[in-house]
Formats: sequence, structure tokens, C-alpha cells
Amino acid sequence: MPVFKTPFNGYSVKFSPFYENRLAVATAQNFGILGNGRLHVLVLSPDPSLPIAELASYDTADGVYDVAWSESHDSIVIAAVADGSVKLYDLALPPTSNPIRSFQEHTREVHSADYNPVRRDSFLSSSWDDTVKLWTLDRPTSVRTFKEHAYCVYSAVWNPRHADVFASASGDCTVRIWDVREPGSTMILPAHDYEVLACDWNKYDECVIATASVDKSLKVWDVRNYRVPVSVLNGHGYAVRKVKFSPHVRNLLVSCSYDMTVCVWDFMVEDALVSRYDHHTEFAVGVDMSVLVEGLMASTGWDELVYVWPHGTDPRAP
Amino acid sequence: MEPNPQPSANGPPPKPWEQAGSSSGPAPFKPPSAGNTSDVVEASGTAKPGEIVSASDRTAAVNRNSLGRPVPTRPWEQNYGNSTYGGYGSTMNYNSGYGTGMYGSSYGGLGGGMYGSSYGGGLYGGNSMYRGGYGGGMYGSSGMYGGGMYNSGFGGPMGGYGMGGGPYGDQDPNNPFGGPPSPPGFWISVLRVMQGVVNFFGRISILIDQNTQAFHLFMTALLQLFDRSGLLYGELARFVLRLLGIRSKSKKVHPPGPNGQRLPGPYNSSGDVNYIEAPKAAPSGGSWDNVWGNDSPQ
Repeated sequence: MPVFKTPFNGYSVKFSPFYENRLAVATAQNFGILGNGRLHVLVLSPDPSLPIAELASYDTADGVYDVAWSESHDSIVIAAVADGSVKLYDLALPPTSNPIRSFQEHTREVHSADYNPVRRDSFLSSSWDDTVKLWTLDRPTSVRTFKEHAYCVYSAVWNPRHADVFASASGDCTVRIWDVREPGSTMILPAHDYEVLACDWNKYDECVIATASVDKSLKVWDVRNYRVPVSVLNGHGYAVRKVKFSPHVRNLLVSCSYDMTVCVWDFMVEDALVSRYDHHTEFAVGVDMSVLVEGLMASTGWDELVYVWPHGTDPRAP
Repeated sequence: MEPNPQPSANGPPPKPWEQAGSSSGPAPFKPPSAGNTSDVVEASGTAKPGEIVSASDRTAAVNRNSLGRPVPTRPWEQNYGNSTYGGYGSTMNYNSGYGTGMYGSSYGGLGGGMYGSSYGGGLYGGNSMYRGGYGGGMYGSSGMYGGGMYNSGFGGPMGGYGMGGGPYGDQDPNNPFGGPPSPPGFWISVLRVMQGVVNFFGRISILIDQNTQAFHLFMTALLQLFDRSGLLYGELARFVLRLLGIRSKSKKVHPPGPNGQRLPGPYNSSGDVNYIEAPKAAPSGGSWDNVWGNDSPQ
């Protein structure tokens, strides 16, 4: 399957919700420690033997840590930038008029961005300034700031079945569930004993959430009974960086880790690890599953490569 | 340029999960409100547009931390002087708690002693989820794997990827839902000691072996050099002499004939080229050349 080489270290990859052959990749120079960033929009060729083409790329003055596609406009992508800004790019416009917006409110690196898939008019950004911000396209500033976490918030993800609920994963070892109409968080999950780096909602059960942590494990929780995890998934050799539930299969989730592997899990069976892909030669930090093509996966990592492959095949196969 | 949200007109293809009903019971969330997000938030009275959270607010937030756990130093405040593998060990900027040089040292395999002291000493001892994937040095002073046995000498991946325990923490007696680890039994202690001893002698023998091999190679090379040196210097000397214009004379001696004279005749077995090149081919016994002895041109 095709591979795309980015000039900088990969940080995140997301499939477009509109086009099955389009994906966006966030990259940062020098492992994101210092330097510029670049946002790539890639186009998959219908013939898997052909290379991945680049539709557009946008340079930023600081690393891009995450990217999110708009659910309301097929050409808009949101970049979470390490200088604390959230930038909006419109692929339909010439490069000179991009970015179309740059929101500068976070005081620290912005680490994730997520577009509301239900109401499709707002998005979240989470930052190392311990806050999560809610933005809408019709306002010049953030609508709300959620500040309760005591440490960097690494990820904030909308509930895909509830327009007002989202979860945030933080380095203070908790995951918090929020309702945008409530002043504070509605639930606090003391999910791990070490930093929680990512979380994601089950697409088929609005109460099930998965968390990924520095303690090398993934945990699956039911928010109605959050004292005990539904399942603990062990198998990564280092901290787990991202977790993502499959959009097509209820019990399937994919994770990527600093042990340089991408793992697919079925959290309801005893032997949870379905498959392990070790195609990356550096930290695997970005992974996604296509909403439009069942089983199509993409991953990126610090080896500056973006892989796209159907689940069950070798990503490195030509 | 102003992107107006038109969700109904401009939405993406339906999500695969939208057709399926939620498979579990009632959710603990309030039912979603109608209207767009900014209106919903403003109606709830929680909107606070454009709020910028300063560092002092953050400090206040620490007090609200319901868990009462100490939080780690921030990635950008981290002391990354103890990094052992370039940027990897330090967590200056890429989030996620690699700060203690955890990845850094094991990745580079330099970690022997470091782990021994920082991890083994019970820092993570209580409910160590760090068991499992980490090899060697991590178990440092807990003794099981000796003092950094796997980690310090033999380089990267061996130490980094963990020889100890499987990656599945489930078999781990120290899993977070279990109690604190019990002290090791007598036999375990004996085995640990034995392992230390074996490891120690193993190292010494490797040291000796390597030295022996190196010495052998060196001596072999030296002997070969001496062996060839005579030839080498002979050739060299001749070459230099030739350069100086001194031609070493060929000291070719013609073997004498049976009576001190050259044997006549072309079939003379000791006859050399010069004989054949003589102006006249001398038939057997018929040549006057031989009358005055062996004076064939030299």
C-alpha cells in the first residue's frame, strides 16, 4: 500500500469525512520540539500501486500537533498548532488567503482538535494550558473555556452520539466528561495511575469510552459505572499515544504507541489483541480509521512516513 | 470567505453508526438540546467568550484537583539534562510523561545504572504497572536481574525492549488491582544471587575472549608482515638502485661442456638462445667457431 514521506515528523493523521480518498496529516519539525510545522492534505490514488499525491500543504511557524476535518465543509481543516493557536484552512481557497482564521487564545501548545460530528457547527481544542476550549465558526472568539484539569489536556473528543457531551484526557491522570451546558465537568474518571494521553468514544455505545495512558495500557470504561474498567488492554511496550474506536465495528479499537507499533483490539474478547503492525521505525503517534471505507487505516509517526492500508494487510507491502 | 455552517445542506455522508441504535441502556447524560452550539451554550449561561486562562488561574486549578495527586512537572519546565538519547529522553515539548528519562535511557541502552537507582528502589514498586515491558535495569536493585545486567553493556534494543516479563501485564503479580508485592522467597533469592554470579563470570570471560582474539589477530598480522619483509625489501632495493642508474649485472654463467668447452651442435641441451642467434647456424661439428673454444657472442 502507498506510503507518503513528509519532510517533518508526523504527529497526527485524519481521514476526511467527505472524501474517501482524502486525508490530512499534521507534522512538526525536529520531533515537535523546536521548529516549524506543516499541514498536508493528501489524496489517495484509486490504484493502490500509485503513490499518494499531495493536494495542498500549509506551513506554520510552529509544529502542528493535531488536525481535524470540518464536518460541515468538505474543504475546511483545523490545525492545532504548538504556538497556542488554532488555525482554519480552506482547501478551496488559494494558498495566499490561508489560513482563513487563526484563533490565539490558548497560552500553551494546543494538542488536539476535534470537530463536533453531531451538530457540525463547533469544535474543541485542548491545550497544555490545562484547558479545553469550545469554538464555533460563527464567533470570533471561543464560546467557552473548560478549566478544571490540573495538568496538560492532551485530547478532547466529542461524543459521536450526543451533541453536547465530550470527554477530555489529561496528564493529571483523569478523564473528565463534560456537558457544554453544565458549568463544571459532569464526571471525573480516575482512569489511570499515570498520565492519560488520549481517549475516544465508542461509536455504537454512547456510554463507552476508551483511554490510553503512559502506563502502557488501554482501558475501556462504561461511564455509568466508572469505578471499574470494562476492560484493560495490555500489550504495548511503552506509553500509548492515541486510541480510536472503529467507525464500523462496535468492539474494535485501534491504538498507536511509543513502542512504534499500531495495535488493533477487540475489547470484548479474552484475547483482545487482534493484530499488531510494526511498520513504523520511530514512535507511532497518529492513527485513524476511515469512516467511509471499512477497514481502511492510516498511521503516521516520527519516522516521517504516512501509511495507508486496509486492515489485515501489511502496510509495507508494495 | 465567511464559512457559514449549513449542516443540513452541506453535511458529510452519513456515519456508519448513525443507523445503528445505541446498544446499551439509558445514558447518564441530559438529552441533547436543539439549536446550534453557541446558542445552546449561551442559553445555559455558561458561555464565557474569549476567556484567556493565565498561569495564576492554572495554579488555582491545582487546588481543585479532586484527586489530590501530585502532578508531574510540565513538559516545558522539565529538566532534560539527564536525557541520554538526544532529544528522546527529554520531554521538553512532546508531551506525555517521558520526563524521567524513561524512554531516553532504555532506548539508547545506556540505562543500566540509571534504572537501577531510579526505578528499582521502589519508586514504582507499590503497584508497578511498569513491570512487564521494561528489561534489565529497571529491575535494578530489586535484584531479580542483577544490577543492570541486561542494560549496561550490550547496547540498545536488548535493554530497551525488555527481556524481563512478557508485555502482558496480566501475569504480573504486581498488577494494579493486586496487593503490594510480597518479599521474595528463599529460593528466589538464591537464584538471584546465582544469576548475579553467572553474569559476573560471563562478563569476565567475554572480556578475556575478546582480548585474546584481538591479540591473536595482531600477532598474526605482525608475523605475516615479517614473513614477507625480505621479499619486500629486496624488490624495493632493486628498484631504488635501478632508479639511481646502477644496473645489477646478470651473473649468468654458462654451464661448461664435458671438457670445459661448450658442447657443439644445436641440439646441445645446455645451449642457450645466443647460440641459436649466432650468425650462422652451426651444424653438428662443422663450425669453425668452435675451434678457438667457447667464444660465442655474449
